[in-house]
Amino acid sequence: MASTQHVLLSPAELAYLHAALSLTPPIRPDGRAPAQFRPLVAETGILPGTNGSARICFADGTEAIVGVKAEVERTRLVDGATAGTEWKEGGSARGEGEDDDGGDKAGDSDWVELTVEIPGYRDDDAGTAFLAAMLSEALLADGAFAKRLWINRRFHWKLYLDVLLISPPLSYPLPLLSLTTHLALLATRLPRLKSEGDEDPFFDDDWAAARHLFPRSSSSTTKESARPPVTLLVMAVGNNIIFDPAKEELAVADVALAVSVAEDTTAAATTAATMDLDDAAAPAARSLRLLSIRTIDPPSRLTPPGVPNAANSAYGATTAQKQPEARTAEAEAVEGVWRAPRGGAKPLVMAALVQKVLEKGGVADEILDALDAVDLG
Amino acid sequence: MPVTILAPKAVRVGYGANPDHSDSEDSGSDPEGDVSMGLKRAAAGRKAAASGGSGSKYEIVTPGEVITDDPQWMRGHGTYVAPATTSIISSVAGTVTRTNKLLSVRPLRARYTPEVGDLVVGRIVEVQAKRWRVDVGSTQLASLPLSAINLPGGILRKRTETDELQIRTFFAEGDLLVAEVQQLFADGGAVLHTRSLKYGKLRNGVFVAVSGMGGGGGVVRSRRQVWTLESANGGGPVDIVLGVNGYVWISKHVETPEGLVDKTSGITNIEESVSATMYSSQNDRIGPETMREIGRIRGVVTALVDNGLRVDEDMVMRGYHEAVEMAMTSGEGPEDIYLGGERGEQLAAALTAV
Repeated sequence: MASTQHVLLSPAELAYLHAALSLTPPIRPDGRAPAQFRPLVAETGILPGTNGSARICFADGTEAIVGVKAEVERTRLVDGATAGTEWKEGGSARGEGEDDDGGDKAGDSDWVELTVEIPGYRDDDAGTAFLAAMLSEALLADGAFAKRLWINRRFHWKLYLDVLLISPPLSYPLPLLSLTTHLALLATRLPRLKSEGDEDPFFDDDWAAARHLFPRSSSSTTKESARPPVTLLVMAVGNNIIFDPAKEELAVADVALAVSVAEDTTAAATTAATMDLDDAAAPAARSLRLLSIRTIDPPSRLTPPGVPNAANSAYGATTAQKQPEARTAEAEAVEGVWRAPRGGAKPLVMAALVQKVLEKGGVADEILDALDAVDLG
Repeated sequence: MPVTILAPKAVRVGYGANPDHSDSEDSGSDPEGDVSMGLKRAAAGRKAAASGGSGSKYEIVTPGEVITDDPQWMRGHGTYVAPATTSIISSVAGTVTRTNKLLSVRPLRARYTPEVGDLVVGRIVEVQAKRWRVDVGSTQLASLPLSAINLPGGILRKRTETDELQIRTFFAEGDLLVAEVQQLFADGGAVLHTRSLKYGKLRNGVFVAVSGMGGGGGVVRSRRQVWTLESANGGGPVDIVLGVNGYVWISKHVETPEGLVDKTSGITNIEESVSATMYSSQNDRIGPETMREIGRIRGVVTALVDNGLRVDEDMVMRGYHEAVEMAMTSGEGPEDIYLGGERGEQLAAALTAV
């Protein structure tokens, strides 16, 4: 759904790009390796009025800013019946103690509000709304993120994420926005809670004591995923799988996917079960969990087809033909002439795309490592 | 390594005094003091510039900013004089340059201003009844009349209604072409023509736009804008077209079909054989070696622009040879054509060092 903006490329350019990207190994127009991202400049903590913020900027000048703001909100009690049961549960929780954070910490997707702003596009533009939906979907997919916002039975944090692209969208901005959101969430800190139990929350006003929403030290006790998710844009041309496509590469894509992955720390138990597989390869490697997949409608389907020389009436070859474009669209593929991809993606290609993302020590893994290394200030 | 994440570069001191950048330790003790000092410094610099002294190296002005009140100065490009005053006001964001008594502002970023005779690369964005509208990176779309193109087959005749109906068989939306500016309108709009065998539709290559570069970087007008480069690693000859408007086209060099030239005699026949492929949108067969070298040249051009260097024949040739050598010595060998990020900086450093 939600195609990217229409790109204006000539059929000859499209044919050249498609041919170059179909080679093994593919030759990308900017010379990158198939799994290589554009170099980024990243920093965090740029907006003093927010709980966490980040800025990422590509070498071509596309730049995004994300600010995260939190406010305390009263949790809505659903209705009388559930409220009663909640109080009962509350009693039991108090009896068991505070560290039991198993079942009674329930998050709600309403607790996170994410807005995307792209210059030159309306707020309710389909593309913008789709981007926002994809980013928030990745965040809320496993429900673990909303749980972090739980304060006590009566209150929770409401998180506002403002995602701003501050340059014109030179390429499909999804990976940029996702990486920036990820960094901003990593840098987000919430004031330390001083009150206890279900009383009105009371916070430590020392900002230095504030806690990260995603604590950096990987404490083995937390059951939730310790990192926010990332959404990667992957596309396929022929049998080649290409990461972080630029605009002109996306214009010849056969299929493009937005794949959201998160680190899976619940896998501690499951890796024990599959120890025989993982043990030899990488015992310390993180396991990645697939959160969501969305297909992106690549602009390649809207591109005009090229006219083969044999059918080109420009030099009087077949002047009798009434509508050359209409005829050639149905003709056989000719080498060096662009034809827009038709039909759906092949299941094998889709599977290979997802497989490539989730690979151990693969791209998503290294992206997470690289984002880890960014100084959170 | 799929991704490199760098820390942001430090703000250049003295270039743009950034008042809210108070967290850097070296800039000053308290923020307010810093702001006032910055303003004073800028004011002092302006005074020095206006009075003929050589104070600051850079001075950035913004649109609407008064450069000087002194009536002895003449206004140049990028400035205007408000009515009934003598103050010269900047109309663009850029750096102030003085030539004797002439004050002008060189914009940081600018669109292309066409001039008659410029070789430009453009993209068709609109097809009208008797002309095309072409994006050349200017403030307005240039126009290419149907009467200003060569008809296929080299026939010289009046354009008929049939031609008007078939206008999309020559150029359709999105097509790239190389043309020359034939005429200018008073408002700065350009009229193009392609009435030469050198001009026409482009194919067999890649496009890269480096437009919008103000002072310093970007394509500059030079002696030769189009040339053929014999590429390394068996890539064969590669054509490079540097449009004055900052649109660059890099493609495989296609020889004119010599068999045809031999058979026929007379200049009109040569034209006929060449123009047989004039409006083709079918690429020739291009080998992977050639594609790789085309990609390398594209990388050189973008690296030059990213590092604020000018793009002309000399720089591209030197940059290309440097890039080939860099690839030879690098780990991945000559097949590695990536020139982004650090490698681009390396390349630029090697070029400016000589």
